[in-house]
Amino acid sequence: MANEVLRARVGELAARVKGEVGESLGVLELTINSAEAIEALTGAKNFVDVPCDFLHDLAGMDLEDHLEVVYQLSSLRGPQRLRIIARVERDNPVLDSATCLWKGADFLEREAFDMFGLQFRGHPNLKRIYLWDDFEGYPMRKDYVIESHEQRAVMRVRKEGE
Amino acid sequence: MDALNNVFVNIADAIRGLFADSHSFGADLTINIIVFIVLFLIMVVAALFLSLVERKFAHWVSQRPGPNRVGPHGWFQFIADAVKMLGKEDITPARADKFLFKIAPMILVGVTLMAFGVLPFGKRMVAINLDLGIFYFLAISSLSTLALLMAGWASNNKYSLLGGLRAVAQMISYEIPLLFSLLGVVMITQTFNLSSIIEAQKTVPFIFLQPLAFVIYLIAGIAETNRAPFDQVQGEQEIVAGPFTEYSGLRWGLFMLAEYGNVVATSVIAVSLFLGGWNGPGFLPGWLWFILKIWSVIFLMMWIRWTFVRMRIDHLMHFAWKILLPLSLANIFLTGIGIYFYELLSLRIGG
Amino acid sequence: MTIAGTQEYALNMGPQHPSTHGVFRMVVHLDGEVVTKVEPKIGYLHRGLEKMAESRTYTQFIPYTDRLDYLAGPHNSLGYVQAVEKLMDLEVPERAEYLRVIFAELGRIASHLVMIASGSLDICGWTPWSYCFRDRERILDLFEMTAGNRMTPNYFRIGGVSHDVPDEFWPALQSFLDDLPENMEEYFGIFFGNEIAQARMKSVGILPKELAENLLITGANLRASGVKYDVRKAEPYSIYDRFEFDIPVLYGCDTYDRHLLRLLEIQESRKILLQALRDIPTGPVMAKVSKVIKPPAGRVYHRVENPKGEMGWYLVSNGTTKPARVRIRTGAFVNVQMLSEIIAGWKIQDLVTIFASMDLVLGEVDK
Repeated sequence: MANEVLRARVGELAARVKGEVGESLGVLELTINSAEAIEALTGAKNFVDVPCDFLHDLAGMDLEDHLEVVYQLSSLRGPQRLRIIARVERDNPVLDSATCLWKGADFLEREAFDMFGLQFRGHPNLKRIYLWDDFEGYPMRKDYVIESHEQRAVMRVRKEGE
Repeated sequence: MDALNNVFVNIADAIRGLFADSHSFGADLTINIIVFIVLFLIMVVAALFLSLVERKFAHWVSQRPGPNRVGPHGWFQFIADAVKMLGKEDITPARADKFLFKIAPMILVGVTLMAFGVLPFGKRMVAINLDLGIFYFLAISSLSTLALLMAGWASNNKYSLLGGLRAVAQMISYEIPLLFSLLGVVMITQTFNLSSIIEAQKTVPFIFLQPLAFVIYLIAGIAETNRAPFDQVQGEQEIVAGPFTEYSGLRWGLFMLAEYGNVVATSVIAVSLFLGGWNGPGFLPGWLWFILKIWSVIFLMMWIRWTFVRMRIDHLMHFAWKILLPLSLANIFLTGIGIYFYELLSLRIGG
Repeated sequence: MTIAGTQEYALNMGPQHPSTHGVFRMVVHLDGEVVTKVEPKIGYLHRGLEKMAESRTYTQFIPYTDRLDYLAGPHNSLGYVQAVEKLMDLEVPERAEYLRVIFAELGRIASHLVMIASGSLDICGWTPWSYCFRDRERILDLFEMTAGNRMTPNYFRIGGVSHDVPDEFWPALQSFLDDLPENMEEYFGIFFGNEIAQARMKSVGILPKELAENLLITGANLRASGVKYDVRKAEPYSIYDRFEFDIPVLYGCDTYDRHLLRLLEIQESRKILLQALRDIPTGPVMAKVSKVIKPPAGRVYHRVENPKGEMGWYLVSNGTTKPARVRIRTGAFVNVQMLSEIIAGWKIQDLVTIFASMDLVLGEVDK
């Protein structure tokens, strides 16, 4: 199903960024290490003929032993689709921000930071987006313990100068 | 017919007749107090009733049921509203300027009531027959700007402040075309007295002589009363309720009272100056004609309100200074030329 | 003597404010009436749907999806159930597909009507507001007679729809569609054609095409900036490839075009509905699905064209009855970003109009 040209381009890119190419339900997947994320994204954005130039989604994912950042790429000018999965270390979840490629990645990255604690280097305003600023922990991680009703019922104490 | 026409005047005369000297100080004082109370009642009842009519009208325009629970077809809704408003807690914000905060609604109502004093509701049915009636009305009604600014400032709320400043900007701008539009009528009649102006319209209402002035007056008048499409001051979608944001209960009610009082006053002036006042075919008493005409002007204002959307503040200023003001000046100029030729013509015919 | 200068000040709009369409909050930096900067603050309606999904079975999660964009409930569920079906490789009966499209498009019309209504209400147009709500009511009645709920019908199931529509549904739908063109003329006459409304909206809040693409704006907002892209055409899901309809595109990039585009889309949705009404076959409305839904391990990303923007469902299954990860990409959440980009220099009254033209629904922004 995936376009042959796209397959070739992804193959070239995979060789450059030392990634693996897979396919899941007709969508090409490129799995890479977090250090190459921006290079891979830049490469995909500038594919000749089949540019995957629209970052449709950016999401975190917890796989117990490591974290992942999943980029769903598509294009407004063609049917090409690509999924780039960047593996991130669980203890040191740092990778480069995609805001230099797409301004709109701003909120998506903030959400990933909010929920998974992924640190995006070079992000202009990496703060919690849904939860309050002094929330502790990252709720979408698998090891996050959901607090009991008794604990939840306690009102949050207002900080000095808030 | 004549008795019906003069029913209110006769009542007043009868009360005066109770005194030995019908023009003594005591008689004047009694009449003045009664007139004051009646005026206040007119204002309150008009405000309460208008608030209901407004909603009925709105729901008719926009095809929704509207108030239909209290009384027959919801016509007692305004009583329920008044009782609800009286029962509400009176809240004064902690950091507000308490004195100004409390006095602002009173000033607004007081100013509106003062403006009512010179309005003629029928032949000889005027509380104070001032020779400078129009002048007085304009001077007094422009004071309401001050009350709105006071409310906006004293509330210590950013929305209120924005609303108060908007009120000043808007009302001062619209005061000028409003004033100039009335000047044409004054030029024709050579008087500021409202009763005399109405008398002068016995043959033809001035709307036919001054159509442009009437349109300008109506637009500026709507702007003066802060109703859509000129309700920047309240602008609930942007600045919540403008100067009234922090008010609750009866104080808020006073603002509404003043608003509807202003609506009535504006339409009374429109009727007096352009629509011939109490003059009308003889099968109805004069004061009834007057009321019917007021209602039709109010109706027109409501129609405009529920049809148009709100203008932006800079468009509003643009409209006042660049369109209405030149037009009203042109109207004065044209009226002057008209009077000149009329006099020339009548002199020649007379000679 | 020093002359006091002017001072910028911050105004906190929301979360309780008449025109933030929910519990949106923005810190508006103002210079008099002119907005210099806006910081959107969201999260007041955050319910953690993604987290909830992980502790519920696939079927149990369907009702939650309706609550994302609660103005167009069916379309959210459509995206979700189709993602699961893709994962399970499930065929859905024809009639169910048609019913799904009918409900999704009705939801789109309802959502766009609310958008036009609130857009007009934000510039004090009470009458167009109640006209739109008057007609939306009939859509909600259709939902109610079918599923019991008005805004969140929870009608779709994995493998079809929960039950067939009642008999009185069809004449009601037909009469609604018959009246729609006339009603749309009414909206146009009182709102879009209104001189003051046009002055308020035309060339206000320009979102240029390049910026829109860079900000990852999707849906009608993108199409109003001159990009002809619609998932229903670009990557047809369900049976959208069977219908003939256009993608309306406008090139004004301004608030007016963003409003007008919704009106044009209602027209296209009506076309789809009329075709669906003509072609709908009889038959079962539910595929044979086992009681316990256990998709094979895998990943799927499914996109649907929601009224508020593109919605993406990234489902990761680990072969159990509960998903390992449900990622919801909502259009409105990404579209919020355009506000702070295009707002500088406009007045506080324009802020409200521009905000309305973005067509946010906080259920979708906050998930």
